[in-house]
Amino acid sequence: MRITVATMGLTLTVGMLLVMQGGCSKKSIQSGGDAQSTERGMAKSGGPAPSAMGSTGGVGGGGMEPPAATFPDLSLSSKPDDLETGGLRGFDSVSGGKAPSEERLGGGGTMLAKVEPSESTARQIEDIRREQAKEQAASAEAGLRDVFFGYDSWTITEEGRQSLTHDAQWIKANAGALVKIEGHCDERGTLAYNLVLGEKRAKAVRNYLVELGVGANRLAVVSYGKERPFCNERSESCYQQNRRGHVVVRSK
Amino acid sequence: MNRVIIGLMIALCVVVGAGLFGILDSRATDVFLEATRPDFQKIPIGVFGFQNGGGPEWLGGRIEEVLKADLQRSLVFSLVDLPAIGVKAREVSTTDKAIFKQAAENGVSVLVWGKSGQKNGSKDSELLMDGFVYDSGSDEVVGGKRYVGSTSVVRLMAHRFADELVFRYTGEPGIARTKIVYVAEHGNARELFVMDYDGYEPKQITADGFLNLMPRWSPDRRFIVFTAYRSRNTQDIDILELATGKRWTLVSMAGLNITPALSPDGNFLAFASSQDGNSEIYKLDTRTKTPQRLTVNQGGDLSPTWSPTGREIAFTSDRGGAPQVFIMSADGSNVRRLTYEGDYNAAPAWSPRGNWIAYVCRTAQRLYKICTVSPDGQKRVQITTGPGIDDSPSWSPDGRHITFSSTVDGKSHIYMVDTDGKGLERITFGGTHNSSPSWSPAL
Repeated sequence: MRITVATMGLTLTVGMLLVMQGGCSKKSIQSGGDAQSTERGMAKSGGPAPSAMGSTGGVGGGGMEPPAATFPDLSLSSKPDDLETGGLRGFDSVSGGKAPSEERLGGGGTMLAKVEPSESTARQIEDIRREQAKEQAASAEAGLRDVFFGYDSWTITEEGRQSLTHDAQWIKANAGALVKIEGHCDERGTLAYNLVLGEKRAKAVRNYLVELGVGANRLAVVSYGKERPFCNERSESCYQQNRRGHVVVRSK
Repeated sequence: MNRVIIGLMIALCVVVGAGLFGILDSRATDVFLEATRPDFQKIPIGVFGFQNGGGPEWLGGRIEEVLKADLQRSLVFSLVDLPAIGVKAREVSTTDKAIFKQAAENGVSVLVWGKSGQKNGSKDSELLMDGFVYDSGSDEVVGGKRYVGSTSVVRLMAHRFADELVFRYTGEPGIARTKIVYVAEHGNARELFVMDYDGYEPKQITADGFLNLMPRWSPDRRFIVFTAYRSRNTQDIDILELATGKRWTLVSMAGLNITPALSPDGNFLAFASSQDGNSEIYKLDTRTKTPQRLTVNQGGDLSPTWSPTGREIAFTSDRGGAPQVFIMSADGSNVRRLTYEGDYNAAPAWSPRGNWIAYVCRTAQRLYKICTVSPDGQKRVQITTGPGIDDSPSWSPDGRHITFSSTVDGKSHIYMVDTDGKGLERITFGGTHNSSPSWSPAL
């Protein structure tokens, strides 16, 4: 048994050395580009042009720091920090009635920075609300119709085609208007796949509008998956409402 | 008892050694710790109270309650009901041979007891917990711990004590001090929160006012990567440093930027982006900031999850029409389909031991449940049953539990379940629409 323990010790020691070496050689250098070059690099990797939405839409950074030129070193070059209380120390001997040595636990939640909605965040939230209300009003006034989809489906139905024929007429008649198509899903299925499904629906709507002669550069798409439902009931009639390509007039 | 411990330690060394020498990969499913074997015998443990000496009235009871729950969830120990087997004591001391003998004779392997109360001479009402451990295999008092801190760390005292016990008897870090990051509804928005693994102490970590989705831990627990809707119209993949609240954008491409996952060594971020028309999986080198596209096809590819060796990636793809789980090498080569049963399998999560991949499976009754499959596709198990839409499985770092969201109780909440489908436990009770849980690595 002693031999086994010794072998284990040796294995661990050799292992640690390898880990440490690996760690050292992996020490990363904070260089070689920034967030922007990431984007450029990505664009170079091939494929069709980016979607019409680009980076023009939206309220911008708001309460958040703008995209940083660099981001922190994420490689495991050092031992993981125990940000809370330090690693385990094992049990202390208490033979002879000795008390264990004192281990002080700090903070309780100090590993987490406190999030306090800042003034700029509040402004961003207010911007989002205002923009949304504006879009809703403009879309209602335009009388744009939404497109509804079958379960698991992103195929546009005959009824959907009629709605889009109507929408295309309005868009063509209002040359200055920019339109956004939001893809939505019902609550069934995974959050992640529903984001992709929502995008497929939004793009199916966009593609059909382009077929009807609307300029692709006036049509943006965004997917909300099942995260912004129109109703919350667990029924087929509600699910039907949420499987939607929502066509809205963009506020800017 | 000692044989079990030695066996565990040898198994640990085999795994550590094998991992280091690069022979452990997803196919080596016969190498794993004894504590996850189906024939593993849990260690019977008895917990006496933590007598209260001058602290708040709830103190001793709270410590005992949290410790017992931790030991139960460890799946390493089985709690023995001491009074039921006639082992009773008003007060235990480290020299209480009679009670030790009685416990040992009744099959109790480990006995735990302690004290709690106000720390002597402490002005700012500091609390104290003493815990002691007796091992019947070696017939000795193993040792003790003394924790000191404010009322806000009482649960942590018990969690630490539980992790010390798990470490002593398995050589593995326990999960009692792990955390879960998740998404919850806040106002009209979805924000990120971090809570203890047992659902206590939830703390908000973003306050953007719109959508923050699909958070994942960095392997060193210092950062969270997630999808943030920078505006209502575009998404970025951001990284947040928990200790400071500082935030950076990692990926900002056209279209969807979703399902980020850092590699086990932290050197690569896998994610899905639809900048090239449909959702594809990319890999960003976090040191050089060089991206690489890994998938090339007309279907939607998303939800990458790394094998613990970092050599392979499992992901969702609907290239065949409906979503299924696939595996590829981390360079995008050698793609093969993993799931064949049913027409909807998605959101894979590779277990930390490498021998299972959890995912959302749609059953014949069109229910969305949690399933697991071995990386060679040979074994498949449905873990959860019944009503409710289950989503976003994520493994505990010890590989013995899966946390996930479910609508079984109406609004979406976070649950955990043992890998054999037993021990189902709801862990969020407050808040609305708690979803997308991700379990932190162990300390």
